[in-house]
Amino acid sequence: MFDKTIHNAAIMDICIKTLHEVNCDFVGFAFQNQIGPDIKWHVVAGNQNEKYKHITLRYGKGIAGRVISTGSPMTIEDFPHDILGKALEYPIMLAEKLIYAYAVPIYLNGAPKGVFLIGQRLRKGLSEEEKKVIIIQARSIEDTIS
Amino acid sequence: MERLPEKKEISNYIIQSSEDEIKRIAFELHEGVGQTLYSVFTGMQLLEANMTDHESKHHVHEMNEILEKTIQEIRFLSVELHPPTLSSLGFLPALKSYLNLYKATYGILVEVEQVGQEILLPERHRIMLFRVCQEALGNIAKYADTHQVHIKLEWEKHGVAIVICDEGIGFDVEKNRHKPGLAVMYERMKLIGGNCVITSTLGKGTTIQLELPLQ
Repeated sequence: MFDKTIHNAAIMDICIKTLHEVNCDFVGFAFQNQIGPDIKWHVVAGNQNEKYKHITLRYGKGIAGRVISTGSPMTIEDFPHDILGKALEYPIMLAEKLIYAYAVPIYLNGAPKGVFLIGQRLRKGLSEEEKKVIIIQARSIEDTIS
Repeated sequence: MERLPEKKEISNYIIQSSEDEIKRIAFELHEGVGQTLYSVFTGMQLLEANMTDHESKHHVHEMNEILEKTIQEIRFLSVELHPPTLSSLGFLPALKSYLNLYKATYGILVEVEQVGQEILLPERHRIMLFRVCQEALGNIAKYADTHQVHIKLEWEKHGVAIVICDEGIGFDVEKNRHKPGLAVMYERMKLIGGNCVITSTLGKGTTIQLELPLQ
């Protein structure tokens, strides 16, 4: 289970590394709290403000909420166009003014408990190579917290 | 010859019908689906506590966690659609309940200042005011690029005045006056005999003033 006091520094290193290795402006890690059903953004890099600290992810809503409920990666190509639901259902995209995002689930004991999200403020997209790097970094996070 | 309903009456009827439907769905979600899922959740917790097989216990625990998140999301949805307190306790408790959800969803802090005691408004007026505030706050989350909002409610004998301020990027009100997001706020206030004034300065923020005289 994710413990901020133990894992924060290691996951921050992974986020910063991803920010440098992948063509992106924002990297975030959200995970279910140790007690209760709330899922929060615990570690971010490249953020423009502190809104993430107050955001509680809505299960099944937005990109991060859907990744956790389905356990599958998800891409938003051109926010707020061509999205499922309303723009207001994508708080992290609004808060960080992201146009493009790619998010992968973080598994713990075989169940999706968190999300690793990469975003761009100017839409450039990600290559398959970059997506592979992101998946590798997500596995590193899983290894760190397991 | 039978009098044809006026445009205002038709608008009122359409809005009222859709509000009734939203209220019904919110109630069904909160009291129906939500309660049923909660019963299943407590039953599953009992099952989990009595299980001895480690693998099955873990599996049931995972299902319980999903159920708990689903129940929470159903409660949130119900508050977004029509807070249960809007019909029972009044406008302010409903607004405060929505603001808690708003802060947790968008990470935007909302400071509420109240002057005077809340006067119980007719339900239709409460709903309309609530929807206008909801629309204003939604627009702030979408466009204002700010992390703080200030809401002032002034209750007087002759009416209620609400001021919603943000220090965001601002916008050109005249250019956007007829866009649905703003037009619906003007229209809703007009339908209940109130008034909506929006002022904004680029780079400095936006102020929305709502006034509702009490009949």
